[in-house]
Amino acid sequence: MPTRVLRLPEAIGRRLRRREAREHLIGYLFTAPAVAVIALFGLFPLGYAFYMSFYAWRVRQGPFRGLRNYGKALGEPQGILIFAGAVALLMLAVWVWRRARRAGAGRRLPGLLAAAALLVAAGAAAVTGWGRMLETGDVKFLNALPVTIYYALGSIPLQLAIALALACVLFQHLRGSAFFRMVFFLPYVMPTVATATVFRSIFSSRDTSMANQFLALLGLEPQQWLAESRPILEILFGWQLPDYWGGPSLALVSIILFGVWTFVGYNVVIFLAGLGSISGALYEAAELDGANRWDVFRHITFPLLSPVTFYLALIDFIGALKAFNHIFVMRSPLAQGTVNTASMVIFDTFYLANQYGYAAAQVVLLFLMILGVTYAQNRVFGRSVIYD
Amino acid sequence: MPHRIVLSLTAAIALALSLIVIPAGAQSDPWAEVDPSNQTLVFWHNHTRNRQDALQAIVQTFNESNPYGITVTQETQGSYADIFRKMLGLLGTPEVPDLVVAYQNQAATYQLRDALVDMTSLLHSPKWGLSAEEQADFFPAFFRQDIFPLFDNARLGLAPNRSMEVLYYNRDWLAELGYDEPPRTPETFKAVACKAAQTPFSKAGGSTMGYQLSLDASRLASWTFAFGGDIFDYETRLYSYDSDGAQQAMAFLQGLYTEGCARPVGERGGALVDFSTGRLLFTSASSSGLPFFKAAVDAGAKFDWSVAPLPHTTPTPVMNVYGASVSMPKSTPERELATWLFIRYFTSPEVQAGWGQAANYFPVRQSAAQLLDDYFQHHSAYKTAFDLLQYGRHEPPVPGYDFARAMAEEAMAAIFAQGREVEKTLTKLNRDANVSLREQMEFLPSTE
Repeated sequence: MPTRVLRLPEAIGRRLRRREAREHLIGYLFTAPAVAVIALFGLFPLGYAFYMSFYAWRVRQGPFRGLRNYGKALGEPQGILIFAGAVALLMLAVWVWRRARRAGAGRRLPGLLAAAALLVAAGAAAVTGWGRMLETGDVKFLNALPVTIYYALGSIPLQLAIALALACVLFQHLRGSAFFRMVFFLPYVMPTVATATVFRSIFSSRDTSMANQFLALLGLEPQQWLAESRPILEILFGWQLPDYWGGPSLALVSIILFGVWTFVGYNVVIFLAGLGSISGALYEAAELDGANRWDVFRHITFPLLSPVTFYLALIDFIGALKAFNHIFVMRSPLAQGTVNTASMVIFDTFYLANQYGYAAAQVVLLFLMILGVTYAQNRVFGRSVIYD
Repeated sequence: MPHRIVLSLTAAIALALSLIVIPAGAQSDPWAEVDPSNQTLVFWHNHTRNRQDALQAIVQTFNESNPYGITVTQETQGSYADIFRKMLGLLGTPEVPDLVVAYQNQAATYQLRDALVDMTSLLHSPKWGLSAEEQADFFPAFFRQDIFPLFDNARLGLAPNRSMEVLYYNRDWLAELGYDEPPRTPETFKAVACKAAQTPFSKAGGSTMGYQLSLDASRLASWTFAFGGDIFDYETRLYSYDSDGAQQAMAFLQGLYTEGCARPVGERGGALVDFSTGRLLFTSASSSGLPFFKAAVDAGAKFDWSVAPLPHTTPTPVMNVYGASVSMPKSTPERELATWLFIRYFTSPEVQAGWGQAANYFPVRQSAAQLLDDYFQHHSAYKTAFDLLQYGRHEPPVPGYDFARAMAEEAMAAIFAQGREVEKTLTKLNRDANVSLREQMEFLPSTE
């Protein structure tokens, strides 16, 4: 009898385990096509690029080079290590600053001072490390990184702000808002090459170009626009600042304007969806409490849109780091490489220099950069997102 | 007896010679026994519209008339760059076409994978090749252009057409400025260009320009040639962007810019617009643009214009000739020979004369000129340019030249738009270009 009692649960357990295994198997079979597609078209190319990056690969596979392709891009290890140290110091400064803000009044000031000191040290290390990297690394590739950052920082906040403003206006259900929603979305769905060609004409250095005609209306001097390599601060204020401190070139600013024009429509649509998901009861309650429009926006709309804003910022940032088509169409040798983002440099290394191994190393570095920035963005801004 | 000895000796020597010579002759023509019959070939090119129609007519005539039953299919595969990118992905696979248009640097890149047929033995084949006379009939600069010093002087292509860098000028405006012929020396050129910048053309209004130069590496090469230099040293097999000729040429052009007599072209096609509206006296561009200039001027300020060599310091003009050749990716001997027979047909004088007229390229055979009399009469600018072909020189056929070109264009922008020091800029350009070249040549198939 006791043996029979023991056998029954064992048999049930075996059956349950078998059923569980079958369910798992069915689950895996259902996900297998998706996994295969992702592996084939997503992971395999990435892995293959990683593999190529260790070889001298010029039309055909050459000898193994180890990390030399990475060294060629970033320069000697000392510079890279100093720069990596700067990033670590920066992260430490942020951590200390956060702790200090939460600390009691007595420990706040020393904490903030320590964070400031760490920040200064990080800055000094970054300048030193970057300088060494520029001396021994690939100047074209390294210069493309700040250009890429300029492009991202120049375009994303502007397009988010404009999109948010437009979405708020369109959400008022004014007459013709559906039409305007379509108009704002049009640049996003139009072929980039065609619209970039139109923008190239608008921002031509010719006196008769639309951009220069507009300046003439304002009584301003014509500009070289896409052919201008001088930084924007020098053009606006005459400040001749060293290296990257002068800001993006006017050529890059022209391209940023194109980027903003293109992606605002997409952001508007997503913001509108976000606005629609905010409960009307909150607005009614705020109205009863006597809140004005600005208060409502500041304390209800903006915080509750933060998941959407965060998502858009993330997607836009990744998009900006990968931007290529319109920059390819709008760039000119007269811009002196000041519009060459990392994607452009990788393209040139691949198709003009035919250095596939080295281009693959640049791709991996850009991928790591996107990964790092996305992670940092998630860590820094992700905490400020309000999901309820 | 001595008679018999002499006869025997003669017979022995003849036999020995026949034993030596016959196999040697057979060895020297590896194509003698290859049968090209009934092959179907694919030809990738970039030609569209009228040019594609003309090419189709050539292909059709060849298909109908060749005695071997060879059939060629021509396919437009996009621009030169599109074809290059497609080829890079297909090298070493059976998917490559039998014949493909390729600039010399593109062919050199393909050859890094040992992917092209060296046409030397086909060209010299007693049975299938071209006679010495026929070879001499090619314009020397065109014929030499596809021999690659970096690949043991392999012939990786043959030119079916060429273009040339020429100076376009407004003849009416030149006359108004007091000149009855285009400037031959840089000094005169500068004087005229500066005068034009101050003296508008009677048929045009607004601001005027003496000279506009697009930032193109071929312009840099052309001006360097005109100043007696070269951008490549064929002895050291390295770029020579910092040669005296290049420095003098760039310093001269920089002077034109700083004195307001020249401007860079800010947008694609900008020079054509300014020239055709009578606001620009000189510009340099490819001779293949002749019909576009004609159409633009006819629709614009309607003036008399022509082409001339770039002003030069050399005793005779040195003209930059360029254009894509046709190359043969490796396949089977039968297919390769069949492809060669089509190339031989395509580059024959009669076909060349027709192709030159239809495509507005220059024929590569000198004897084609005899068949172009009528065309010359109606296209005087084409004739002027054609007469300059004898002075042709070409840009280097090296892998990765596109990358060096991009660097050269940025150097030109730095010199002209930013007024950077010529010597320093060209020294840096030369150093960077040679680093890139060394990387390209790091592992050639033949060195392994």
